[in-house]
Amino acid sequence: MTGHTLTVAKKDFADAGRSKLLWSIIGLLVGLSALGYIIVWATGEDIAAGEMLGFLAIPLGVLVPIAALIGGYMAIVGERRSGSLKLLLGLPPNRADVVFGKLLGRAAVIGLAVVLSFVVALVLSIVLFGGAPIVDLASLGALSVLYGVAFVGLAVGVSAGVASRGRAMALTVGTFMIFFAFWELLTAGVYYFAHDGFPTEYPATWYLFAQQLNPLQSFAYAASTLVEGQVFPVMFRFNLDPTFAAPADRVAGDTPFFLQEWFGALLLLVWVVVPVAIGYYRFEKADL
Amino acid sequence: MTAIRTDGLTKRFGDLTAVSGLDLEIEEGEVFGFLGPNGAGKSTTINMLLDFTRPTAGSATVLGYDAQTGSDEISQRVGILPEGFSVYDRLTGRKHIEFAIQTKGADQSPDDLLARVGLSPEDGDRAAGGYSKGMRQRLATGMALAGDPDLLIMDEPSTGLDPTGINEMQDLVRAEAERGTTVFFSSHILEHVESVCDRVGILRAGELIALDTIDGLRESVGGGATMTITAASALDGVVDAVAAIDGVSNVTATGHRLEAFVERPAAKPLVVTTVADAGVELTDLRIEETSLESMFTTLIEGDEAAATTLAGDVESAPDRRVANAGGDE
Repeated sequence: MTGHTLTVAKKDFADAGRSKLLWSIIGLLVGLSALGYIIVWATGEDIAAGEMLGFLAIPLGVLVPIAALIGGYMAIVGERRSGSLKLLLGLPPNRADVVFGKLLGRAAVIGLAVVLSFVVALVLSIVLFGGAPIVDLASLGALSVLYGVAFVGLAVGVSAGVASRGRAMALTVGTFMIFFAFWELLTAGVYYFAHDGFPTEYPATWYLFAQQLNPLQSFAYAASTLVEGQVFPVMFRFNLDPTFAAPADRVAGDTPFFLQEWFGALLLLVWVVVPVAIGYYRFEKADL
Repeated sequence: MTAIRTDGLTKRFGDLTAVSGLDLEIEEGEVFGFLGPNGAGKSTTINMLLDFTRPTAGSATVLGYDAQTGSDEISQRVGILPEGFSVYDRLTGRKHIEFAIQTKGADQSPDDLLARVGLSPEDGDRAAGGYSKGMRQRLATGMALAGDPDLLIMDEPSTGLDPTGINEMQDLVRAEAERGTTVFFSSHILEHVESVCDRVGILRAGELIALDTIDGLRESVGGGATMTITAASALDGVVDAVAAIDGVSNVTATGHRLEAFVERPAAKPLVVTTVADAGVELTDLRIEETSLESMFTTLIEGDEAAATTLAGDVESAPDRRVANAGGDE
């Protein structure tokens, strides 16, 4: 990495910031957050501003990853296919600058989108519910940014590591589908063979740690600690696992640190570090 | 000092050898034309110089830095116009130039650079996605000129340019050469390089088959010509007599047609009189001059004989090649 990383990031932010697709996704994110507030307000139910945050966290749990993956999966492979990468690498920025600059640029775009959603939520909360839980709102906002950055990391890592758009799309969509649709099937399936039966309410520790590794779950569990009420992860359920409860609540006795919600939030960073490291390694070796 | 040097530079893609044992040395201040048909390995060579592609064997240095380990130092001092690039559709032309200036750490006016490649400030305000092929080529050339590079590497710079654009590009290369910039550029069209290059190398199927000045190449191809004579009767009987003329070779006769390669202009009338003296009535005579241009064109079209003629220069006249190279410095 050289001093050019930031220059690449800024240019990428400027370029991605002009993408209509990305703005549509950001619009959807902001729009749905706003819609949630307006619908609840319109039904006239007696809900406190603090409880509204739980309603905000659920759509964010799905939309933020989708926005981040769409916003990131073409970041490098798109330039590699079109040939603008040659223009970029012909200038002083090197391959490391491209990977980390893209990561920063796209993370900034998603960060901005999430922050915008929360600003809208803040305004609507004050206007419609007569108050705003500033601290809760800000911490859920920060967690959502981290959550978005995790998926940006995954997408940019994939984008750096493959040579075609199709492969980038297959890998990002595939990974998301594993998190979203097959995580329970996979982890509970392995559990079945390893322990001669599906997970119980108090399953083996490794199984609980596996739930921590799914960003959709660790986001929801960490969000639950920040807002009033429980935020459930939006995922396909196979009912192989009897409960939706957070890993931290499924251990008898003291909860080890690695099963606590804050550690799950920290584990979101795994999805930045590992894919980007692999992607960078492959990109550095590639014939462009 | 040597601007570009390759030692046994080789690149294989699976079974295909794109570049084979390339040895090349380009001096600082030289304008070098890298010629060859499409697919000859020109872009692969340039991609290896820029560390876009890694060699299978051999090595290359650019401005004294190893192409792979020194790529950061190289890209700081070299201006690059890559082949098959694309622009950032959503960013304006000026943003492209500004980005190039910024990464080079230069202090130039974007509008000056735009003007040098024939783009107006109004063009600079437009998103580059709306540019024509020629304008994109100019824009990328402008980016390559940011930071006043010591070496300009241009891969097929005339792509997408109209004749005026090509002239302007040649003027630009001359102007850069006058500033002392070394220019290395590739083309599959001889006339785009011959008026500006000090020296050319011809690449064919991954191998360097000629390395000389344009004049040197022209000399080695010679002023030969192919004569085709058509007669009213069979010409088999005169083949030996024609072949006996000094400066005539490759004489073949098929029915009423006779072909002969004539190296010496003075031999041409002798061929005609020899045939006439044998009592054959001539009905037609065609003479096709062999020029460097026609030789290169036939090479581009994949003709083995042309490749051998041009290649013959490398093998048969090493002394002159050295003399020519020396004269460039």
